Amino acid sequence: MEKAIGNKKDRKGLVIQALVLLALVLLPFVLGNKFYLRLVTEIIIYGLLAMSLDVLLGFTGLLSFMHAAYMGIGAYTVAVFLSYVDPGASIWVTFPLGIAVTVVLAFAAGWLQVRTGGFAFALLTVAFGMMYYTLVWKARSITCGDDGLCGLPKPDISLGPIVLGNMNDSLTAYFFTLAVVAVCFFVTRRIMHSPFGAVLESIRENTERASFIGINVRNYKLMGWMLACTLAGISGVLFTYMKGSVSPTLMDARAGGIVLMMTLLGGMGTLWGAFIGAAAYIFLQDFISAMTENWMVFLGLAVILLTLFMPKGLADLPIRLGQRLTRQRSNL
Amino acid sequence: MIQICLNCLLLSALLLLISIGLNIIYGISRVVNLAHGSLYALGAYFGYSMVSYGVNFYAALLLAPLLAGLCGVVLERLIIEPIRHRDMTYTLILTYGLSVFIDGMFKFIWSDKVQFIQMPSSLRGTLNLFGVHYPNYRLFVLAATVCVILGLLALLEKTKLGMIMRAASTIPEMVSALGVNMKLVHMGVFGLGCVLAGIGGVIAGPLLSVYPMMGSEMLLSCFVVLVIGGLGSLRGAILASLLVGTAQTLGFVFLTDFAMVIVYLMMAVILLFMPKGLLAEGKFD
Repeated sequence: MEKAIGNKKDRKGLVIQALVLLALVLLPFVLGNKFYLRLVTEIIIYGLLAMSLDVLLGFTGLLSFMHAAYMGIGAYTVAVFLSYVDPGASIWVTFPLGIAVTVVLAFAAGWLQVRTGGFAFALLTVAFGMMYYTLVWKARSITCGDDGLCGLPKPDISLGPIVLGNMNDSLTAYFFTLAVVAVCFFVTRRIMHSPFGAVLESIRENTERASFIGINVRNYKLMGWMLACTLAGISGVLFTYMKGSVSPTLMDARAGGIVLMMTLLGGMGTLWGAFIGAAAYIFLQDFISAMTENWMVFLGLAVILLTLFMPKGLADLPIRLGQRLTRQRSNL
Repeated sequence: MIQICLNCLLLSALLLLISIGLNIIYGISRVVNLAHGSLYALGAYFGYSMVSYGVNFYAALLLAPLLAGLCGVVLERLIIEPIRHRDMTYTLILTYGLSVFIDGMFKFIWSDKVQFIQMPSSLRGTLNLFGVHYPNYRLFVLAATVCVILGLLALLEKTKLGMIMRAASTIPEMVSALGVNMKLVHMGVFGLGCVLAGIGGVIAGPLLSVYPMMGSEMLLSCFVVLVIGGLGSLRGAILASLLVGTAQTLGFVFLTDFAMVIVYLMMAVILLFMPKGLLAEGKFD
């Protein structure tokens, strides 16, 4: 009985998410301004990153301070490949390469990290994330240090011999990003609703009990970590494709904090909340920084107030609204 | 050679001054204060303003940390107390937001120019130590740190207040049941931590520069000290700050760019193999 209700709610959520996706597909035809289209593309990319952190934090209950580091690794891999090996490389080469390098480095850190939990895990993500960051930042001969790599060639989006467009065109960039992120979102959503996702949630709720009923907690934590880092790597690859430049600020400690803020602003454990968080953060930053130089003050204030008064994040608003509507309907 | 040794000690002293506050706050209230670096910067900015308005440096060294401590007490009461019962993640994100807010305020009030606190004239010049000329001010920093740490240890070990704090770090429920107002203890401890960070800020002002992001940049090194010494362990913190200060200084001399990698590697190794820190005194909840 309970499962049936869950499925019904689940299907309702899926319908809403599909409708939102449709709206996003139609958006560029409504939105004439190219600047805003770029902004929305950036939001979608950062939404993917925040969602990947949600897999880790909201579902598995593991905190990562430096999640942006793995986005940076994906982004830098593609950037270095494009600027030193083959500027005209097809996305079918650079995309898997970016993911592969992220996966290898994330596995090295994750394999050690999952031996701990809680705050120790969070501190280890700082240690490894900062290590990767320092290596990328200080390897000046390859990554150009503080300046980063700029003016990278933007790749063509191709399906076999058919070229669909170039990332230089903001419309192509938007649709390509949207398509990749939508696939990632629905696949992750399916995974999180599978028994595997339930195991991750059981680890979040009570690690000891989960191991008592025979779950190999370390392995599952590692799988959750790898899923999260892979998604972060994808967002990094998309970032390089869209911007055509990378800089170390992409993966420093502040960037790690920003991702965490997006995930919490949006609301944990929903996946789609992360996109709302990313949208809220990027719009807020863009909107306030256009009005005043001191946008950090307002951003900090917003985070403090949200944590104090809306701990479940912005995603809680539509959920609460929906509950009130159903209650009214059942009253009638 | 002597110069390098003294520089190691100098960085260790600064790290110790700032991280000890972080350590006390975690040890007693179990709050991980990500805004601690910003409060260190707040002390530095208060000191900068006072000295540039003509207040004596030594008076500023006394007053600015007290002001920072006062700010700390108010912040604790206003925003950290209400979420004490919630998960640690929320404290982390809240104090992170606080640090962004405070760093932003620095830019707003003091602009983001790089500034220096004027060094008192009595401490200019150098002292001849076994044939090496070493700046007086740096020696003053070392001496002041030793005094502050000894004072803190005396407070914790010899007074009734210190006894309450030590007891609260192990069994807060029992301390509360014995009629001690734990809310006041938490507030006081947070304030004390901020005073220590503020002292670090004013003392570092003439040496390192004063700029809005100075605190956030210092915070990471302090976390490394906190972890290596064991969370909440004072003796561990002293040992760890010596270790990290030395590693960082020697690293910058011999490895230049990749010095910090060594420091983070140390942190990872400690977390994996000795999660309670070097002296196994840490408190992980």
